Amino acid sequence: MVRDFSTWKPWAKRAGAGIHSIHMEINKGTILGLIGPNGAGKTTLMRAICGLYDCEGFDKSSERRRREIGYMPEQVRWEGNVSVKHALESIAMMREDEVDLDGIIQTVGLSSKSEQILDNLSQGMRQRLSLACALIGDPKILVMDEPLNGLDPLAQRAFCNLLRSLANKGVAVVISSHQVADLEALVDRIALLHHGQMLIEGTLDNIRKELDLDEKSGIVEMICSATGISPDDVSLQLSNDDMLPFKTLGAEEE
Amino acid sequence: MSSLKLGWNIMKERMTAGRMMVIWPLLTIFILFSSWGLSDPKVNLPASIVVNSAYDVMYVASAFILFSATMGAVLISFDGISRDRLSGVLEVKLSQPINRSMYARALLIGHWGAIFLPVMVLNLFSVLIIWYRIDDLITIDEFFIHTLATALVLLWYTSIQLLASSWAKDLGSSIAIGLGLWMIFTLLWLVFTTVVAGFSGVGVDDLNSAEFVKIDAFMDLLSPNGLYHHILEMHLDNVDRGMSPLNVSLAAIVWSVLPAYLLTRRIERIHP
Repeated sequence: MVRDFSTWKPWAKRAGAGIHSIHMEINKGTILGLIGPNGAGKTTLMRAICGLYDCEGFDKSSERRRREIGYMPEQVRWEGNVSVKHALESIAMMREDEVDLDGIIQTVGLSSKSEQILDNLSQGMRQRLSLACALIGDPKILVMDEPLNGLDPLAQRAFCNLLRSLANKGVAVVISSHQVADLEALVDRIALLHHGQMLIEGTLDNIRKELDLDEKSGIVEMICSATGISPDDVSLQLSNDDMLPFKTLGAEEE
Repeated sequence: MSSLKLGWNIMKERMTAGRMMVIWPLLTIFILFSSWGLSDPKVNLPASIVVNSAYDVMYVASAFILFSATMGAVLISFDGISRDRLSGVLEVKLSQPINRSMYARALLIGHWGAIFLPVMVLNLFSVLIIWYRIDDLITIDEFFIHTLATALVLLWYTSIQLLASSWAKDLGSSIAIGLGLWMIFTLLWLVFTTVVAGFSGVGVDDLNSAEFVKIDAFMDLLSPNGLYHHILEMHLDNVDRGMSPLNVSLAAIVWSVLPAYLLTRRIERIHP
């Protein structure tokens, strides 16, 4: 049970107002998708859950809570001239638990790259390494911020399958992703955030009913309906023809 | 998990970093070559510096240790926190179930060890060089004082640089702060001292006058480099700048505790 987040401080020199008054249940064995427009507070909420921010009801010095949570931040750029295995060992050292690193490396598909230097990893491999870090210590809750970024379609599917099997084993997963098609197929429940507040939470079907949407409506329609944002409000338009370099390119190709 | 074990791991990472290819030759040239040159019986030193014993040579050569080793501390630590923060790795690390103050101590131990160990290895070689050149070996207590002073000055620079690295939002700012402070303490401190002397009504035309030496000794308590020399001078009979060992010890404690405390506090509050 996560409740009463209050990270908003008027004197803090940080962009945005943070998140406030969020009541949310994270159930064992379920995958909860956090959705919302850019700047809604998804990442802030995830960091708060993981104890990276102090907030009401939570203390970031709480090691017990962090022991139960595996966190995969968005787009970690692993670098340095140490091997993948060494990087994982460094993270594992920060936990007192017995860790089967070889098993984790195999689970995330990095067996062939375990001795490779971090500087030589592709973005997809770096994502896998971040996932491996999140899996260290057999966490009861997995919190993942845009985990599908940088993964090829096959890896994305494998990733989703892995998350489902972890959920089947009783792990609670909290995931945010802008890749809505994958998310719709993956999640059991959805929490919709906007301006640091949670607007609605439930299964996809329940949310559709609550928002009075038809059965074919997806996450984008849910966001638009719940937040009142029209797709036209966020459309990207070029101000003049001079800003169309591809037009020239197209002419050259012809 | 202890800070020591984690610090050891950080130290190993730092010692195998590419920049050590620059730092090792830098340290070797400054520490070994200065020991070799200054232990030459025919060496002609400026001012009234007298070199009679192995410890005297080590004391004079300490200026070169300061120049190279403190720069090494800056170069090793400038991205100790900011790099992880920029890449997102700090988020992964701070989400682990480790006490943040313990992590801060590990960072300090790791980065300090990565510069202290090479300097100590080279210091041992320089002791042997001096022994070979002037047939005089420093005593155990002299070696202890020298090692302690070197360890402390590197600890001070490491904690200052890590603090700068935790403040800076990018690597450029971090190294700018670190190098700026290094330049102030290493190259510009005499200018500050003369300014303070001038405001205090002490003439700066004679830097050997008793009044100026007194102010210089006091100002040195406020600088890691000056304090380093104060500690080394505690064992020299022919140098007396009128500063009591108690004041020097108190200043050393403040310099050891304050930046380390600020670093720990910063890590406890940092938003990755």
